[in-house]
Amino acid sequence: MIRMVAVRLLLTLPILLGVSVVAFVLMRALPGDFAQASAGTSTISAEALDTIRRNLGLDLPVWRQYLRWLGATLSGDLGLSFTTRRPVATEIFPRLAVTAELTLIAGLMAGLMGVTTGLLSARLRGVAEWAVRGWNSLLLAVPNFVIATLIVLLFGLYFPSVGIFNYVAFARDPSGNIASLLLPALSLALTVSVTISENTRAAVLEVSSQDYVMVAKAKGLRPRAILRDYLVRNALTPVVTVTGLQLAALLGGSILIETIFTIPGMGQYLFDSIASRDYPAIQAIVLVAATIVLLMNVLVDIAYARVDARVSYE
Amino acid sequence: MMEGKLEPLLAVRDLSATFHRHGAPSRVVDGISFDIAPGESVGFVGESGCGKSVTARAILRLAPEGSSIELGGRILFRGQDLLRLDAAAMTDIRGRDIAMVFQDPMSSLNPVLSVGAQIDDMLIRHTGLSRRAARRRAIELLDLVGIHDPASRADDHPHQFSGGMRQRVLIAIAVSCQPALLIADEPTTALDVTVQAQILRLLLRLRRELGMALMLITHDFGVIAGMVERVHVMQAGAIVETGAVDALFAAPRHPYTRALLDAVPRLETGGLDSTAGPA
Repeated sequence: MIRMVAVRLLLTLPILLGVSVVAFVLMRALPGDFAQASAGTSTISAEALDTIRRNLGLDLPVWRQYLRWLGATLSGDLGLSFTTRRPVATEIFPRLAVTAELTLIAGLMAGLMGVTTGLLSARLRGVAEWAVRGWNSLLLAVPNFVIATLIVLLFGLYFPSVGIFNYVAFARDPSGNIASLLLPALSLALTVSVTISENTRAAVLEVSSQDYVMVAKAKGLRPRAILRDYLVRNALTPVVTVTGLQLAALLGGSILIETIFTIPGMGQYLFDSIASRDYPAIQAIVLVAATIVLLMNVLVDIAYARVDARVSYE
Repeated sequence: MMEGKLEPLLAVRDLSATFHRHGAPSRVVDGISFDIAPGESVGFVGESGCGKSVTARAILRLAPEGSSIELGGRILFRGQDLLRLDAAAMTDIRGRDIAMVFQDPMSSLNPVLSVGAQIDDMLIRHTGLSRRAARRRAIELLDLVGIHDPASRADDHPHQFSGGMRQRVLIAIAVSCQPALLIADEPTTALDVTVQAQILRLLLRLRRELGMALMLITHDFGVIAGMVERVHVMQAGAIVETGAVDALFAAPRHPYTRALLDAVPRLETGGLDSTAGPA
């Protein structure tokens, strides 16, 4: 087990290297650069632009820029943000914390909704099954930013007393902070809950036709014990996988949701950084997001072994 | 053995079972009646699809998930009609008074629970033992069915056992609450021939030691011999012949019984020469 984790962690390094190259090249392939972006619509002389570029090292060939960035990163220095001139590391972590909190709340909501609706549709059948499947199809068809927009419209027009855009920092007002994240988390959670719900439903249906469920009934176990120890325990494995991967994707930050609700998380940071061509910030965000996805994969594998004794990594 | 002298433990009267799938009803058990006396062992023989497994499951009112089955007639257990019991009372009887061993040991154990836990949960449910007492009893039961080093094996999971060992575990589960009737539905079909004999010997021994009645269901007359006192031969949802096992072997009356007996390979006739054999 420990060996497996060590090997998997080691394997993430070449993947991260590849990700950083792709991000680096793609950003520089975009038209415009920081100098032009910061100039905006005002006309600045070509010499002034060149000075900015020279100061930031943007006049060097891309491969030399990359090696410089890689060398600094490997020694633990993510560089200075072009826009704020402050270390990227100190800029990114408060934002990561906000997104992590948002993801946690959204994950709890999605897990609760998904597992409940999945179980309902698998166990009750009939009307419940059709209602859940219809609801899931609807949520799957509607992108989360549309849901977010509808939530904003609904509360903005009819319940203006409920503040939508008043994000407050956790340190200032913990309960207000959580309350301000509920609606954005809901708009993220609804889409994620579909995946969890459908996977729960499929897994429970598959497990319930297994012989050991019949044996459990023949043992005279009560329906609740069968549901808990036989159906859910066995259906959990595929659900753990999809949930883990969905949460990993959310941890990278949702640009649209965070922008709509003006939450200072990873998504909004990425959006602003791309708009201003703040290369060090973008590189750091991509690197952190990729690391999270990779770590989440390892965690999912560990979770497998915890819920299912047949899985061992020897 | 004791037929007619004792009140029957189980009296099945005019039992019918009808499956409803995609609207079209199909009757798989068609008005059968039989008795099982306390401690008696009775065999049910017939080819796949003759309704013998459905009969066995009907006694415990177990239907495959997602199918709907309609049962008719009466199933009197200790004089009480099981078909008229409410769901909770039926759940109490399952495992405690009537237990069942199924065909495929590879898929009959919950893969995520240790085998000990799968005996514990049943003991706790029916006997009210504490968790620790249940585990002590579970270890005794594993020892009883011939699992070596039962104390440490109780913590192992099903995938760490062979097919024969898993069937032993399932038998330990089935007899854990000392049921009055044990239904064994093709208990050896999925196993190697050498293991088959061991499992049959185990069932025979447990029946004697625990004084259970045994309802043994099989398609194989070779399994029945030496295991039961009486045999019911089933075909197409009906019992076509009933008799003491020796008499039936010596002089089968129904042509279907004869065909089934001919299907048992014999060493002296050169083995597998039958073409009319049931599946």
